[in-house]
Amino acid sequence: MFKKILIANRGEIAVRIIRACRELEIKTVAVYSDADRRSLHVAMADEAYHIGPPAPGESYLVIEKIIDVAKRSGAEAIHPGYGFLSEKEAFAEACENEGIVFIGPSSEAIRLMGDKVTARRIAQEARVPLVPGSEGAVSDTEADIVARRIGYPVMIKASAGGGGKGMRLVRKEEEFKSSLRMARSEARSAFGDDSVYIEKFIERPRHVEIQLIGDSYGEILHLFERECSVQRRHQKVIEESPSPAISSKTRKKMGETAIRIAKAVSYRGAGTIEFILDQNGNFYFLEMNTRVQVEHPVTEMVTGFDIVKWMIRIASGEKLPFVQEGLSINGHAIECRVYAEDPEKNFLPAPGKLEYLRTPTGPGVRNDSSIYSGYEVTPFYDPMLSKLIVWGETREEAIKRMKTALREYVALGVKTNIGFLLRVMDNDEFIRGEIDTGFIERHPELLTSTGSNIEWALIAAAIGMRNSAKEVEISGQTPVSNWKLFGRKLAVSRNTMI
Amino acid sequence: MIYTFKFQDQIYRISLNKEGKETEIEIEGKKIPVEFQKIDENFYSILLSGRSIGVGILKRGKRIDVFVDGDLYEFESISDREREKTKGAISGVQEIKSPMPSRVVKILKKSDEGVKEGEGVIVIEAMKMESELKSPIEGKVKEVKVKEGDAVESGTVLLVISPE
Repeated sequence: MFKKILIANRGEIAVRIIRACRELEIKTVAVYSDADRRSLHVAMADEAYHIGPPAPGESYLVIEKIIDVAKRSGAEAIHPGYGFLSEKEAFAEACENEGIVFIGPSSEAIRLMGDKVTARRIAQEARVPLVPGSEGAVSDTEADIVARRIGYPVMIKASAGGGGKGMRLVRKEEEFKSSLRMARSEARSAFGDDSVYIEKFIERPRHVEIQLIGDSYGEILHLFERECSVQRRHQKVIEESPSPAISSKTRKKMGETAIRIAKAVSYRGAGTIEFILDQNGNFYFLEMNTRVQVEHPVTEMVTGFDIVKWMIRIASGEKLPFVQEGLSINGHAIECRVYAEDPEKNFLPAPGKLEYLRTPTGPGVRNDSSIYSGYEVTPFYDPMLSKLIVWGETREEAIKRMKTALREYVALGVKTNIGFLLRVMDNDEFIRGEIDTGFIERHPELLTSTGSNIEWALIAAAIGMRNSAKEVEISGQTPVSNWKLFGRKLAVSRNTMI
Repeated sequence: MIYTFKFQDQIYRISLNKEGKETEIEIEGKKIPVEFQKIDENFYSILLSGRSIGVGILKRGKRIDVFVDGDLYEFESISDREREKTKGAISGVQEIKSPMPSRVVKILKKSDEGVKEGEGVIVIEAMKMESELKSPIEGKVKEVKVKEGDAVESGTVLLVISPE
């Protein structure tokens, strides 16, 4: 086993990895930017090194700086976490060249799965279903032929596209020609390129993914699925395992399919295959994430498997001592991502100082975070405050437990999405498990508070006003000594200055 | 003591009277006995005729934030004199300000161009996410103070809109 590991990340995932290392009795090395000197991962690690200014491009994304710290500190391996350098082939390669173990797959696997076209080809060769459509850009005549072949409704998408521009949904054949013309013209003005491709439109698609773990000896296991359909701005906010939408038969098939893709690239470490699931239970390959996922805790909660620890053990050469048949799902887990953001303003990030924090606890409650009262949410990094994960014997119990936990949360100083998350937990469609990637858009009422606690809030506001006034009054009395005066001034400033 | 708060353009008045050990709240004509305890600097336990709740309270100058059951209530404490001044809805020249440190992605309205209430005027980006800022009034753009690509601080005036 390694003696020392460098964690090339920050925030809650760096803290999560440090905890795993502690349990494995491995020394940890943290890296930090100017904005992170007061971050928890720095305080928790055994060693910490400064790597530059707040902008990730000048610190957390600079391969040479990370490698340099690894060499200086004598770290034998690097855990990249998620985001930053975790899916950069060049980083894994740099580690390989320097004789440092990269805790993850080979640089070759990252390269193959990181390229969308190559990943699709690998999936196809492994007999994995893809969303039906054209092979790349098409002419007007070809587009028409493809649309007829795959059947309506279809999507026309700009090849150079992104952000919904140059994207058209066509429900009927008679609308196809004009839609194609408009999509091309939109694509031309937005990207200077009018080439488009055709894809089958999936009605109310769900996002379901399979967690994989592979060792260096060719064994690859799946740890079942996670349902990640509740998304905003194409980013997941609530994840759960198991998915309320799939049968045990589909689960088995999906798991085996995911393993086939991973085997094609001799995958090692933790990885995730993302699928689109339609309303009839058909699933299609979307992409592979060649790293640990933000939402990995829900899988840990229902399988009892410590994904982060196993990533480290596998990287150090250990063999997976499990067999697929021996793995099973126990109960139900849900994760809510608590963000400093404003749901009323289209989930606009809300950086600022977190003045006060109280976090939930209790049976089956796990809060993965790196925040504290006084923590500064900077605009440089993702505004996620914490991942609140609960476990219950059933989905129903897990939802109730999540509600209880969310109600225990208190965060002052920055706007958060906690109220929004609570309203989702109360939504009938969510409770019935009828979720898809359009869920939040379909329910704008979830974005705003119902104001049901306004009376309590007003009373609290009056009490807050009265108490701060009272304390000023007390300190206004004739002081006995200068020391006492100083002490009282301090007490008052704590109340009124923050 | 009577407190006046503004919350989402609504004015609320609440009185808190202490006589001996008892504290009484008067809210919309209703008188209710209330008892409260400070748990720590920002967390209070309130009992209201047997009903109990824990709330987070943060006072910052005239602003007082209350956190109850996942929702944040942002109150502004106002004096009676200020109350007279704030009568009437939003009017006059409006400044569109950046709500946070961000980058200007796209300016949707040029100088002198007419805008409707609620219409998007500028797109800004922060932490990889874009958002559109909207005009609170109908009128026309008096001045565009930034250009596309500019990095702006929180509170920077981006556009000025005059009603006409």
